[in-house]
Amino acid sequence: MRGKRWWTPALAVALSAVLLTGCGSNGNTGDAQPGTAGASSGKPAQKVKLKLWGAVPAEAGPQAVVDAWNAENPDVEVEYVRYVNDDAGNLKLDTALMTGQDADLYFSYVLSRLQKRVDAGVAADLTARTDYDIDGQMGPDAAQWKINGKYYGVPTKKNMSFIWLNKNMLDEAGLPVPPLDWTWPDLEQYAAKLTKPGVYGFLQHEASFTAAIDGTIAGLGVTKADGTSNFDNPLWKQWLQINHDMMYKDKSTPEYGEQLTSKMPVDTMFLKGEAAMLNAGEFIFRNANNLKDYPHDFKIAFATIPRISADQQNYKYAGGVGDMLSVNAKSKNQEAAWKFVKWYADGGMLPMASGGRIPSSKSVDSAKAIDLLLKGVEDKYDRESLDNVVFGKFESFQLDIPQQVIDARKEEYEKYFLNKQDLDTTLKNMADRHNKLLQQK
Amino acid sequence: MGYAFILPNMLGILLFFILPALFSFGLMFTDYQFSNPNVSFTGLDNFRRLFHDEQFYGAIRHTAIFLLSVPVSLVLAFATALVLNRSVYLKGLLRGMFFLPYVSSGVAVAFVWMLLFQPTNGPINEILRGIGVASPPGWFADPDTAMYAIDVVQIWFMLGYNMIIYLAALQEISPEQLEAARIDGARTRTITWRIVWPLVSPTTFLLLVTGLIMTMKSFALIQAITQGGPGSSTTILSLYVYKTAFSYYEMGYASTISWFLFAVIMAVTVVQWIGQKRWVHY
Amino acid sequence: MSDSAGNPKVKLPATIAMLVAGVFMILPFLWMISTSFQTPSEVFVRWLPSRLDWSNHVRIWTGSYSFVSYYLNSLKVSVIGTIGAVFMSSLAAYGFARIEFKGRDALFLVYLSMMMIPPQVIFVPKFILFNWMHIYNTHWALILPGMFSIFGVFMLRQFFMGVPKEITESAFIDGAGHFKIFSRLNLPLAKPALATFAIIDFSWQWNDYENALVFLTSPKLYTIPLGLQNFILENNVDYNGMMAAASAAILPMIAIFLIGQKYIIQGISSSAVKG
Repeated sequence: MRGKRWWTPALAVALSAVLLTGCGSNGNTGDAQPGTAGASSGKPAQKVKLKLWGAVPAEAGPQAVVDAWNAENPDVEVEYVRYVNDDAGNLKLDTALMTGQDADLYFSYVLSRLQKRVDAGVAADLTARTDYDIDGQMGPDAAQWKINGKYYGVPTKKNMSFIWLNKNMLDEAGLPVPPLDWTWPDLEQYAAKLTKPGVYGFLQHEASFTAAIDGTIAGLGVTKADGTSNFDNPLWKQWLQINHDMMYKDKSTPEYGEQLTSKMPVDTMFLKGEAAMLNAGEFIFRNANNLKDYPHDFKIAFATIPRISADQQNYKYAGGVGDMLSVNAKSKNQEAAWKFVKWYADGGMLPMASGGRIPSSKSVDSAKAIDLLLKGVEDKYDRESLDNVVFGKFESFQLDIPQQVIDARKEEYEKYFLNKQDLDTTLKNMADRHNKLLQQK
Repeated sequence: MGYAFILPNMLGILLFFILPALFSFGLMFTDYQFSNPNVSFTGLDNFRRLFHDEQFYGAIRHTAIFLLSVPVSLVLAFATALVLNRSVYLKGLLRGMFFLPYVSSGVAVAFVWMLLFQPTNGPINEILRGIGVASPPGWFADPDTAMYAIDVVQIWFMLGYNMIIYLAALQEISPEQLEAARIDGARTRTITWRIVWPLVSPTTFLLLVTGLIMTMKSFALIQAITQGGPGSSTTILSLYVYKTAFSYYEMGYASTISWFLFAVIMAVTVVQWIGQKRWVHY
Repeated sequence: MSDSAGNPKVKLPATIAMLVAGVFMILPFLWMISTSFQTPSEVFVRWLPSRLDWSNHVRIWTGSYSFVSYYLNSLKVSVIGTIGAVFMSSLAAYGFARIEFKGRDALFLVYLSMMMIPPQVIFVPKFILFNWMHIYNTHWALILPGMFSIFGVFMLRQFFMGVPKEITESAFIDGAGHFKIFSRLNLPLAKPALATFAIIDFSWQWNDYENALVFLTSPKLYTIPLGLQNFILENNVDYNGMMAAASAAILPMIAIFLIGQKYIIQGISSSAVKG
């Protein structure tokens, strides 16, 4: 300790220097809140500043997007603000939206969050805009995002969830790329055959874990005809059983407790060849295309997230369109913001394609987006299944269940997967808790 | 005269704590949803819902288990502070090492403890098996033990914080007092419990009161490790409030739970305040 | 304890035992550093990096993350906030500990009760308040509330109450006023407590994530805890970058601790107060 005394004054000097510069710049913080009153009243000299909030890290595309816009539009400057799409991050966005000046444009990623923003009066009704035909541009899936029959945003990208396959392992095991209409029992068999020491047959990313059961009730209906919960339906029972068997009987997928406690980085494991199949979404493309940090020499093929049983009617596939871009109804620059929305949807967003965000607008040539996605890594993918699955057309859905219900459901199936509760009790509890929440409405 | 010392501070407390608190108190009787301008007065509906809410009762149980960590951490911290006060070399380094968990990144803390408690091949269970425990607990992978595993982490986390405050308290004890006792022939253990422990009792009171308050409010560590699971086994009251407010957007109901939480902490504190006369020596 | 002070036969084994325990305490810290030198495919798999990869440390200081600015912002907010909190709290603590006035204990309980309110429920009212005060999205939204610490008042009150009354009473008789007694007698005596509170308060302000999250929206105002959020990607986490940044973020904490703990040692036990 003794010999180190010299740095105390040194640090004190450094700190006070920081304080001085810090205080100096403090006067500038007012800049952060642009245009007080009357800034938008048509004076051409006044530069409009817009803030765009999204959950994609700036360097994964959004920065390139706004840079391109700013170069083309000297009169309207867009700044990108990134928020993390969790509870805390959404709280940050929601408070900023209320001020009306710190967020002009923003993305919502799930229906329930958008609904709250519509309720709060911070999402402008875009149905009223006659110069852009959202249904026509984005296709029939867009209507899943309507709230009370109106569009409070433009869904800009194709949503995609599917099973990633290590094609080399499939070939070794003599298994073909599965057909589009395969089922969970098929998947269970695949997983068992692909499992070997050091390799799991099947892994699931948390974000896609419930895709199959969600797609099932999207078709069956969240509630039965009498208005009670449909969470105890036999298809869910079958799905739960299959997953349980894969964990404990076949050992083709990690036990649930193992997944929880080892914080398994499933995408890394798949890309390192420690798993043959992975249930995940398009967001894996970013790492899969990054051969420097995630080197791999196998080909990747794709399969749909299967139906639960072969005779299942009305199964919907996780997908459709997403990345809902809305205009803050409290923004002072409605026109400029709307102009940006149209520009972004009709091609402005292309720099995001390499991370897996394929524009949903028909004005964008999808071949161009796919080229961007696969640039330099074409030989790493099985093009046929990629075209069929990733860019195929399926009947899709947007999950329309409150977060509370999703959490309650998760708590119950976790107990089942941890062997703390049997299957029938689990189904019953899921339905009971759902019913209780339904009654509260 | 007293007010002159307190006034500047009181103004700030009034503005930044009491005012927002009163607002939140009013919310209790409404169905206010965050940022939604349409609010209606719901009277006592939220209270009725509270008493039938099983998740709420579960959260109370988990919170009670969580609070066990407070006294345990205090006793360990007192012992550590005694040792690190005088009887070791490298005091500065060792104190730093014990304080470090308190300022480490939550992600790192979560990861390392997940690894230590890993049920199949983590070191803790390896040791347990080594000493003959046939089927050691699943810790974070088992709803029955997860909350106790969280307690262990919390004790470890709070140790350094409690320790440095005890260290500061130990500096107030003048060596003459201890010297005199030793000359009288008192043994180390007697000195520790008869002289040192009473002398630091105002600090123990401080750490007990604030420790209970802070532990009841804190959930960052749990959020980083288990997010309240598995099942809902580690969802303590404060985490339940957080989810209700920001995930479910039910501000009114969240306020009701919070004020219940408040009433409990307040009652506990008042009991401690009255009880302090028996054992705190100023 | 005290009879063992200076006795190497006790000190040496005690030191070794505490060092072993100490290593256990700093395991997460070691993991942070190790991960910051790893490549993405090594995270969660290896304890030690296969080779030292400096690129994570390089990229947080250069490129798009602007950690320099996060650092300066954090220093500004934490340093001003901590100085303010130490000053404001010690003043009020003296009032509560040493001056008799009507309703003192009741007022103190009101103070304490404000500590018990879960912060989640007052975010929204605070947001409305800050917006009205025009400090939303400025550093003042962190600094001003940061200057008022109930914990600080409580902690320092407990320490002031521990100072033998005879010391202050004799000063009273000599004709000194409260402020003089406070600044000349109580403050110097409470040096270890003040240093301890400063260390703890600084660590809270330095690591304050929730307030910064809600009340700062301009990236150029961001503090380090918000900067760390950059590494949470959409569906996974850039652990290497995050741990590189987190290890850099902990350095000022270590510096403050080392400076502060010198004052903890130099308590009255060394300067021996006699009445």
